[in-house]
Amino acid sequence: MDNPEPGSLSWRLSTHPITLLCFLGFRIASVLVYIFGLLFTDNYVLVFILTILLLAADFYYLKNIAGRRLVGLRWWNEVVPGSGDSHWVFESAEEGSRTVNKTDHRFFWMALYAVPVAWVALAIVAIVRFKFMWLSCVVIALVLTITNTVAFSRCDKFSQASSIATRALTTGGLAGRLGGAMIGRFFG
Amino acid sequence: MSRHHNDFSDPYDQDAIEADLIDPDDAGLDDLEDPLAAPQHTSDRAPLTGNIGASTAQTQSYLNSAVGGEDRRAPQNTLDESVWATLSRDLLAVWEKMRQVLWPKYLLGGAMVPQDGGEGGVRGFGQGLMGVVGRWPDADVVLQGGMSEGLRDWDLWGPLLFCLLLSFLLSRGAQDEQKGVVFSGVFAIVWIGEAVVTFQIKLLGGNISFFQSVCIIGYTLFPLVIAALLSALSLPIIARIPVYIVLVAWSMAAGISILGGSGVVKNRVGIAVYPLLVFYVGLGCLCFIS
Repeated sequence: MDNPEPGSLSWRLSTHPITLLCFLGFRIASVLVYIFGLLFTDNYVLVFILTILLLAADFYYLKNIAGRRLVGLRWWNEVVPGSGDSHWVFESAEEGSRTVNKTDHRFFWMALYAVPVAWVALAIVAIVRFKFMWLSCVVIALVLTITNTVAFSRCDKFSQASSIATRALTTGGLAGRLGGAMIGRFFG
Repeated sequence: MSRHHNDFSDPYDQDAIEADLIDPDDAGLDDLEDPLAAPQHTSDRAPLTGNIGASTAQTQSYLNSAVGGEDRRAPQNTLDESVWATLSRDLLAVWEKMRQVLWPKYLLGGAMVPQDGGEGGVRGFGQGLMGVVGRWPDADVVLQGGMSEGLRDWDLWGPLLFCLLLSFLLSRGAQDEQKGVVFSGVFAIVWIGEAVVTFQIKLLGGNISFFQSVCIIGYTLFPLVIAALLSALSLPIIARIPVYIVLVAWSMAAGISILGGSGVVKNRVGIAVYPLLVFYVGLGCLCFIS
């Protein structure tokens, strides 16, 4: 542990250790409170509220803070003024403008994909045990975490596509740099 | 080439259409209109040409402002901003929605008062109270107004927090073994009610998105949270009746005035709003008996 190799899963290698620890803390705490909450108190309402609040905090933190600080990606929802339809807007840092720490990168994507899988497993457990009150909590968790997972993986795809496009443009000598960050617009 | 059109002594120019269609018999090749040249004469098409140019310019400025405005769409601001900037922007967005609920424009000043801040709402208070009775039936007028900018970008903080608060406060009044049931029951009623009201509005032809409607209805639960708080503080039954009626009416007024931009056809507004009334009254009754 004294000299971990670059990219290994140790929080001390992170460039944003506080962001990373908060991110992992919200993610893991919501699952832990859901599973082990009733061991410490028999108040069903309290555990439910705590889980939901942790899930909401995790959703907000991942979407607005952890995503852009750890891997330089961001997505948000925009409403078309006329029709009221909504579409997602993806934003990614320009290639080369920031270096993404490998440790942050691995932590981010592992947590992004592992937590929804854990909630799916908990949903199956809740169905098998006929705990339909808890199932509603798990459904909320699944909606929130899967939304973030889908959005960030699409955002990553857009980021790679636009960086390939930039490379083609610059090597072809057509245009210089595309100013600012690139926005991939996804209508849907 | 078309110089003769400006000559008012030419009898053919008395009528513009005729001049456009019929060339004079004695016209030479140079007098005839060149179809490829830019039209210099003032024909019927002149205003139309101007219109096309103007509308193109409008479209371009609209597109520009949509891509690179000064708000959160500006691409270079959002990735490297500080955490505090993110938090304060979202808190301001939440407060903007709360403000719309706290001062419903349907009651305080009606639809004609521009949304220029809290002062506008307070200034219209006097006229608003006088006009409440007279304005009450014509919800159509209010419902034709557009939805404000702050409400278009929905979030689910209001629905989530108010739903949790309402469920929690109502479950406090229940007996110990029923706490869990009351909590999950109210929780489910709120979300299912919001979904049903939204689908009703969508089916009646409102062009509001599902989450926008859920967001608005969730924020308008705030007066009912006050009612639930009063119940948890064991307000006497007699005092509850007038207070809760006022609070339900407050929710209703906020809901109607904010849902105004949803584009429901005029003579169906009553049908669209009725389930909302049932929803609020039901929750108000729950607060009353708890």
